[in-house]
Amino acid sequence: MHFDLSLAIASLPALFHGLMMTICLSIFVLLLGIVFSVPMALARMSKRRSLAWPALVFVIFFRGTPVLVLLYILYFGIAQFAWVRESFFWPLFADPFGCAVIGLALNHVAYMTDVVRGSLLSVPRGIAEASLALGIPERKVFLWVRLPLALRYGIRAYQNEVVGFIKGTAIVSVVTINDLTAVANGIFQETYDPLTPMITAAVMYWIVVNLVRLGFAGLDRWLNRHHAPEPASRTRTRKAAVA
Amino acid sequence: MRDISTPQTIDVSLRDVVKHYGPFQALKGVSLEVAKGETIVICGPSGSGKSTLIRCINQLETHDSGDIVVRGITVDGTPANTRDVRIEVGMVFQQFNLFPHITVLQNCTLALRLLNKGTKRLNEEKAMYYLERVRIAEQAHKYPAQLSGGQQQRVAIARALCMEPPVMLFDEPTSALDPEMINEVLQVMEDLARGGMTMICVTHEMGFARRVADRCVFMADGEIHEIAPAEAFFDAPESPRLRGFLDRILPSTAHS
Ligand SMILES: Nc1ncnc2c1ncn2[C@@H]1O[C@H](COP(=O)(O)OP(=O)(O)OP(=O)(O)O)[C@@H](O)[C@H]1O
Ligand SMILES: [Mg+2]
Repeated sequence: MHFDLSLAIASLPALFHGLMMTICLSIFVLLLGIVFSVPMALARMSKRRSLAWPALVFVIFFRGTPVLVLLYILYFGIAQFAWVRESFFWPLFADPFGCAVIGLALNHVAYMTDVVRGSLLSVPRGIAEASLALGIPERKVFLWVRLPLALRYGIRAYQNEVVGFIKGTAIVSVVTINDLTAVANGIFQETYDPLTPMITAAVMYWIVVNLVRLGFAGLDRWLNRHHAPEPASRTRTRKAAVA
Repeated sequence: MRDISTPQTIDVSLRDVVKHYGPFQALKGVSLEVAKGETIVICGPSGSGKSTLIRCINQLETHDSGDIVVRGITVDGTPANTRDVRIEVGMVFQQFNLFPHITVLQNCTLALRLLNKGTKRLNEEKAMYYLERVRIAEQAHKYPAQLSGGQQQRVAIARALCMEPPVMLFDEPTSALDPEMINEVLQVMEDLARGGMTMICVTHEMGFARRVADRCVFMADGEIHEIAPAEAFFDAPESPRLRGFLDRILPSTAHS
């Protein structure tokens, strides 16, 4: 058994197709994560029990349920209920892509709620108080002071969640989605060569994950530019001018 | 002590202000009137309620009972009322609390921008004017982390001044500073006081209090024990607790 380069090259178009599915799915769910995790975190931190409790139950439940089980329930289980089949949402649950997005999103949002909450809590209270003391209304303090600072504190935790999440999407093949892993597995079934397609797929995952890391590193540097020391060039030119 | 019939404007008035944290009573009925242009220094032992008192004035803490009137506005705790009061009152904190992610200049203009005041250019001009007044205009494009503590605190003062509040609160503005930076901040505060700002300063800088304060207030256990003009406050304290307090923080003059 060896790595079959010509098979790898021949498989590239199909694998690339699978990769697109993986990326598409990831972008969808990551966007849902951004949209829903902030309100969820706010609900979780709310003083009102009627908001805090449901959010807490949501987080505990969906963090504690394996994504695989969630996907089985969504794709195979829910269809058993006639009222679901007759409902407005049925197209979503009948579609494997819809199920995969919902299943992954429930889990991802549950994790992200805690990431966002932790980041918001790490913003020093005094900075929010100083904003209030300036007369800025609470809502704008949240939007323009606490949220941007939380983003800076939380970006590393978010990167870890995103990278883990992308690799975790491999699970969606159980609901018949042809993502990168499913395509690689299909090639293995056809050619009886497990090594070549899987290694090629692994390399593709690796490239995507590291591009994401690079992107985050750049974003992190840009967001935290205020920690960078004074650019040396200015003082140097001044010294040069004096000399 | 003060003659009530004097035609002075009262900028801040507190009457029987009570504040609890849970069962603990942090303010036990505090009354104080601060005239327009007056500089008040509040001192007292740790935990005596100094911060609580000045934080009640701009409603960073809500009081339980008693009246607080700021420039004619009776504080009632509703959001609109609170906002009106905060426009009248600037505050400077022990920990500077600058926005770390934006430049010094943006620190000064953020509130103006978020409250839809002025144009970008007017706001920046105003910010530069106040940064100049605290003598730090040349650092306007740096981030807070690139400044020393004293410089950061002066930026915090300029940031508050940009809202042009007639009243300023200071909560131990020099306590977090290295000794060599304390004076640059006190100097800025002194300039403000001489310029006619109404100021309430919690501070243990007794030299500043003597030089600048019109009246000094001594607090202990959530109560005001003594209010007196600076001179009398230091040279002829009436209450034994104030005498003991001054003895401890002014060891050199203890037996004068
Ligand atoms: N958020 C809070 N919750 C509970 N207790 C508090 C809170 N803030 C202050 N206290 C208590 O109220 C009392 C007065 O606090 P305050 O901060 O006003 O004192 P202070 O005179 O400013 O002291 P310091 O000189 O240490 O700053 C203290 O005993 C403190 O423990
Ligand atoms: Mg205090």
